[in-house]
Amino acid sequence: MENTGQEIILSIKNVSKSFPGVKALDQVSFDVRRGTVHGIVGENGAGKSTLMKILSGVYQKDLGTIIFDGEEIKNTSPIQSMKRGLSIIYQELNLVNTMSVGENIFLGRFGEMGGMRGVHAKAKELLKSIGSNIDTYKMVSELSVSEKQMVEIAKALSFDSKLIIMDEPSSSLTADEMKELVKIIHHLKDQGISIIYISHKLDEIFEFCSIVTIMRDGHVIDTKPISEITRAEMIAKMVGRPIENEYPERPNCVGETLMEVRSINTKKLHNISFKLRKGEILGLVGLVGAGRTEIVRAIFGADKVKGHEILIDGKPVKIRNPRDAKKAGIALVPEDRKLQGLVLPFSVESNISMANLDKITRFGFLDSSAEKDMAEKHVKALGVKTPSIRTKVRSLSGGNQQKCIVGRWMETNPRILILDEPTRGIDVGAKYEIYLLMKKIAESGGSIILISSELPEVLNMSNRVLTVCDGRITGEFDPKVASADQIMEKALEFGRKDLEHERAN
Amino acid sequence: MAERIWNMKEQINSKKIIQTIFRDYLVLAAIALLVIVTSIVEPKFLTAGNMTNIMRQFGPLIMVALGMTFVIIGGFIDLSVSGILSLVAVVTISLIEPLGQVGALIVGLCLGAFCGYLNSVLILACGAMKQAEALFITYGMSTVYGAFALIYSGGRTKQMSWIKADTSIFKAIGTGTVGFLSVSFIMFLVCLLILYIFQNKTYMGRTIYLTGGNKTAAELAGIPIKRSITLIYTISGLMTALGAIVLFSRVTAASPVLGKGYETNAILAVVVGGTTLIGGNGSVLRTVLGTTLVILLSNCMNLLGVSVYMQYMMRGAILVLAIWLDSRKEL
Repeated sequence: MENTGQEIILSIKNVSKSFPGVKALDQVSFDVRRGTVHGIVGENGAGKSTLMKILSGVYQKDLGTIIFDGEEIKNTSPIQSMKRGLSIIYQELNLVNTMSVGENIFLGRFGEMGGMRGVHAKAKELLKSIGSNIDTYKMVSELSVSEKQMVEIAKALSFDSKLIIMDEPSSSLTADEMKELVKIIHHLKDQGISIIYISHKLDEIFEFCSIVTIMRDGHVIDTKPISEITRAEMIAKMVGRPIENEYPERPNCVGETLMEVRSINTKKLHNISFKLRKGEILGLVGLVGAGRTEIVRAIFGADKVKGHEILIDGKPVKIRNPRDAKKAGIALVPEDRKLQGLVLPFSVESNISMANLDKITRFGFLDSSAEKDMAEKHVKALGVKTPSIRTKVRSLSGGNQQKCIVGRWMETNPRILILDEPTRGIDVGAKYEIYLLMKKIAESGGSIILISSELPEVLNMSNRVLTVCDGRITGEFDPKVASADQIMEKALEFGRKDLEHERAN
Repeated sequence: MAERIWNMKEQINSKKIIQTIFRDYLVLAAIALLVIVTSIVEPKFLTAGNMTNIMRQFGPLIMVALGMTFVIIGGFIDLSVSGILSLVAVVTISLIEPLGQVGALIVGLCLGAFCGYLNSVLILACGAMKQAEALFITYGMSTVYGAFALIYSGGRTKQMSWIKADTSIFKAIGTGTVGFLSVSFIMFLVCLLILYIFQNKTYMGRTIYLTGGNKTAAELAGIPIKRSITLIYTISGLMTALGAIVLFSRVTAASPVLGKGYETNAILAVVVGGTTLIGGNGSVLRTVLGTTLVILLSNCMNLLGVSVYMQYMMRGAILVLAIWLDSRKEL
């Protein structure tokens, strides 16, 4: 422990990795010291994930050496590296939902723990060591995202990990949950455990990382102590050019009411009513699971909802399924790009045309040249980086994939565009382009409903903010006037009442 | 950067070409190997008689397999084809006398399409959006259709020779030739052409691919996925009915268990051809190759005197092998 911050736990030297057609990593070298939080930043496609997958043994490197804890790592597998003390916590947490917390932590090792009683006792101890008192008998499906993350961390600790890699751990956490995570990270650091922290949120990197490695196009651009680099420098190194602003100027062209939503009631939502004006960007703020996504899904006809009313231009419209919504001029860019947005094994072209097939259909037959023109138009207009429109959308980076979905809906000429977490897992440059696009849509008279877990994004882009908590709309704010604290307070209102209620009992 | 993208394009294309060659030509290579080896070992294989025989065997299976292709591309599966085939055969043959040939044909085809449609209604009613669920529902329905066939026919096989009315159309389908091609083979070519165009050039064909590719995303993009599901099962039912007609015309009799084994053979033909079970991928052309291989294999094994039990084993092993090869491709 006296060597904290000195001793090198992981040394990566000249590691290269190629996939057919792409050099994913090119001569990557850097060291991670014991007991430090080492940040890694870079745009999508910079090679971060590939590097992490090589470290954890999912991929094998082509060239170079990796020395972990004094031992060279060669041809390892995920389970071997875990046993060596190198754990990785993926963005999409890998837990078995139908099993209990304790069982998940010691999955496959019940025998070593001396049966289920031992499992739960040891699990409880581990969770306690990171300051959590989750009931180890609880089903993982009942946990919140941040609780699940704690279970993942406890699992990593159960292998006596010396290095824990966290891949965008904060992407679905709210501010309060984030504070918990930061606490745990500091705690781990104090125990001499090193952490590789991958994030797109630069605030976090500056908050608790001591060293940062910046990657771009498969190269390490720089590794620097955090105290020696500014935010602007970091962004410039990530994107390879300076960016003046993270957000464009907020559009300011709010007109009359375009859509009115009256009393959506479901098991999860309670009396949701609100108005959306022309040219407005309306932000929905709330915890993950507060009901934000359910509200827009109900409007879009993706979930079966009865008894509510939707008026567009003062006239009631019946929306029973996404097709009706499309006809009514509503578009939805869903929160999970890969599962709900894209048909991954299909081409960029068919992913763009899929909401507009009726436009290119004559007497039941598809006009393939019209389809090609349509795809090329949007690829060009949105600057989708793809070798060709016939390329499978799977092989594009996150930002470019998102642009394909946006392009698909732009072709439908929507009056109301719903964006659910449009910038999740997207790099700084692509984010800015999505913001610009939102601005352009609003300025041309379209309305946008924006859902985002990144509060600064909502505050900087919206004309109006609604807070959602526990399936209810709890407040309405003008983001130009209201502070982030005021808004978060409303967004947490019901949750807090529940807590107090529980405590009183 | 531009150069990098350009390189990527080149390599992706060449990789794709290799993949396609591997996928398509592996089946072709297997077919060629089979033909060469069998014709050396067993000279009877290359005789005109045997070729006609192969063409005739090809007829019923290819019809069922073409329909099954749509179901599998849509991300589902249809085990009810054996039941539908038996039912359509016994009903159609029994109606030749009262309704005449054309009437019987039309009723038979409608019955097949209706059975397929009924499958889709039940699948949608159960909210069965997974292949495994559809597998059990259609398995259940296969039993139902099969039992109907037994009840309707009283368990008896009906010979065409017992029919007093004109059966010229069915005789033509069963044994007729145009030039050196059998009538059933020409029927297959016509169906293939129509289905190929439907699959690749039409709106509905595309919605089937999208449904199989990602149901959630397709639905959220406003694709009528329920209609696609109805469509794939109706096509499967209709093509199975056509298969039933070709089959009983060839064997000149309809037994209530005529369709036994057709579901596995059709799935085998589709998968061996290279259409993936995951859905969203494949083509009717692949199925033609797959069916050719399956038919040739059984013909060769028959000629070489391989026992029926051994043939069953080979068929199962090949299905597993095809799925294994398929899973390797995606890497």
